[in-house]
Amino acid sequence: MTGLALKSLKKRFGSTEVIRGVDLTIDDGEFVVFVGPSGCGKSTLLRMIAGLEDITSGELFIGDRLMNDVQAAKRGVAMVFQSYALYPHLTVRDNMGFGLKVRKVPLAEREKRVAEAAATLKLDALLHRYPRELSGGQRQRVAIGRAIVGNPDVFLFDEPLSNLDAELRVHMRSEIAALHNRLDTTMIYVTHDQIEAMTLADKIVVLRDGLIEQVGSPRELYERPGNVFVAQFIGSPRMNILPVEAARQLSAGTAVPANAGRVGVRPEHLALSPALTAGLRGKITLSEYTGAVTLTHVETAGGQTLLVVNDGNGDHRIGAEIALTAEGNTLHYFDEHAKRVG
Amino acid sequence: MTRRQTNILYRTCWTIALLIAAIPFIFPFLWMVSAGFKSVTEIFGAPTLIPRVWRWQNFVEVFTYQPFARQYFNSLYIALAVTALTLVISSLAGYALARMRFAGAGLLMLFLVSALMVPEEVTIIPNFFLIKWMGLMDTHWPLILLPTFGPHGVMATFLMRQYFLALPKELEDAGKMDGLSRLGVWWRIALPMSRPALAAVAIITFLFSWNLFLEPLIFLSSLDMFTLPLALSNFTDTYGLPLWNLQLAATTLAVVPILIVYLIAQRQIMESFALSGVKG
Repeated sequence: MTGLALKSLKKRFGSTEVIRGVDLTIDDGEFVVFVGPSGCGKSTLLRMIAGLEDITSGELFIGDRLMNDVQAAKRGVAMVFQSYALYPHLTVRDNMGFGLKVRKVPLAEREKRVAEAAATLKLDALLHRYPRELSGGQRQRVAIGRAIVGNPDVFLFDEPLSNLDAELRVHMRSEIAALHNRLDTTMIYVTHDQIEAMTLADKIVVLRDGLIEQVGSPRELYERPGNVFVAQFIGSPRMNILPVEAARQLSAGTAVPANAGRVGVRPEHLALSPALTAGLRGKITLSEYTGAVTLTHVETAGGQTLLVVNDGNGDHRIGAEIALTAEGNTLHYFDEHAKRVG
Repeated sequence: MTRRQTNILYRTCWTIALLIAAIPFIFPFLWMVSAGFKSVTEIFGAPTLIPRVWRWQNFVEVFTYQPFARQYFNSLYIALAVTALTLVISSLAGYALARMRFAGAGLLMLFLVSALMVPEEVTIIPNFFLIKWMGLMDTHWPLILLPTFGPHGVMATFLMRQYFLALPKELEDAGKMDGLSRLGVWWRIALPMSRPALAAVAIITFLFSWNLFLEPLIFLSSLDMFTLPLALSNFTDTYGLPLWNLQLAATTLAVVPILIVYLIAQRQIMESFALSGVKG
């Protein structure tokens, strides 16, 4: 098992700086997920760790070795690509054993390791097939198998499930989680799907514009987001952000920090009450029934639309006047620079 | 009429129409083969497709008139050498131009492609002096070097570059993660995946070299060194007039390898012409 340390890592493409100084420590056996909007640099950061992109400045340690100038194949990492990147001219067996063959691992050893990985991933019956003869899920398993056979110290996953349909994605997600439990190896996983991030990660790294916004466990990021961006990025539907004056309307008598400029409240923490009761007044503009919950859009007097997740019971007709309330301990406060307060 | 019967009728009509349309293209070929078995008198007599007297002797005379077997071999080995060299050089250069980031790559590509716009006739005199200066007159080297490094080689490089550009980059990244060097990625991933482009380049290069006439005419003077196109034009009588029966018999023999390759690789040849925009 091996940890990683990223020290002031920067990456520049021409005059554009896409990674602008990343400091991060990843412990042995940890499952770390990089999340962030498109173009935030999460894939570039992963490729820098893999050795597929040069590091402009800063230091990358894998274990205690400085890896800046070490070739990709000699870093002890294996990568699973978004498009699977299986060699179309090779069978499943040859795809999985290709890296070992290049490294001149003896045939017997190669066959043994491929067979073990195939058994783990239930690919035994597919070893003679070509990638074009496999389904999306099977291809993904072969890509994971190819990574496993090299016994890497670190696994890198670059949005590995984004090409799969919803059902298969859930299934493969649980397989990856099971794989991590079984191998207990350091894994770094890039995704823009926050459900994947929340369910898989020991630690989530939220990136924006080439910088880390916050690092923490899924629970920390959900319960104590460090700024408005993280607060709105983690959690679905996204957190409602209101002027701080709304805090006392939402929760009468709550203590508002002196330097707070805005208040955030998650849609699942808002409650809909009849208009006559105390609370933040608003009017229902849309009601989306999803089965388990109903997503209600409420327009406040200030013209802002808030999202509310509720059970769908009660009189929630479009156009109905209502009052919104929330428990004081579910409110998040941010200062004028969008940083968390309290 | 059932739907199946309509389909059969439709296909039959189309087949007949296409066969009729093909006659103008097939007829010269059939006439060539037929005339290869006729005497000169019969060729210019009443036109018939089947010879009245089969003159097999034409094919013997082809080999006694001049060292035709040697000339045939010359064409074959030169075409194979040019094809092999072009495949290696164009795939390496094409890969470098498609995948390697280096200063002036775009300018270099533009410079290379601009060479395609220069007509062969313009460069033949400087090439003549160059080859003479190198002491390679009346050797096969100019017929190997000029097509390989000339406009044809550039076009092959351009084709390979375009094909490599379309290959998924992630596959090459996967190759690097598996421990391949840049050259290893080219040899073990990019090339096996580029078989259609390699086949196209191989076919058009072989045909180009096989049909080359101007360069052999300029650079070769010994009968033993002649290639087929030049040898074909050499079947003449003492007045320099063509010996049609020998010329057509020799042409029939010259077409055989092309015909065999065509029958075996019909699909790839069609694709190569479509890919390269080159006619046969």
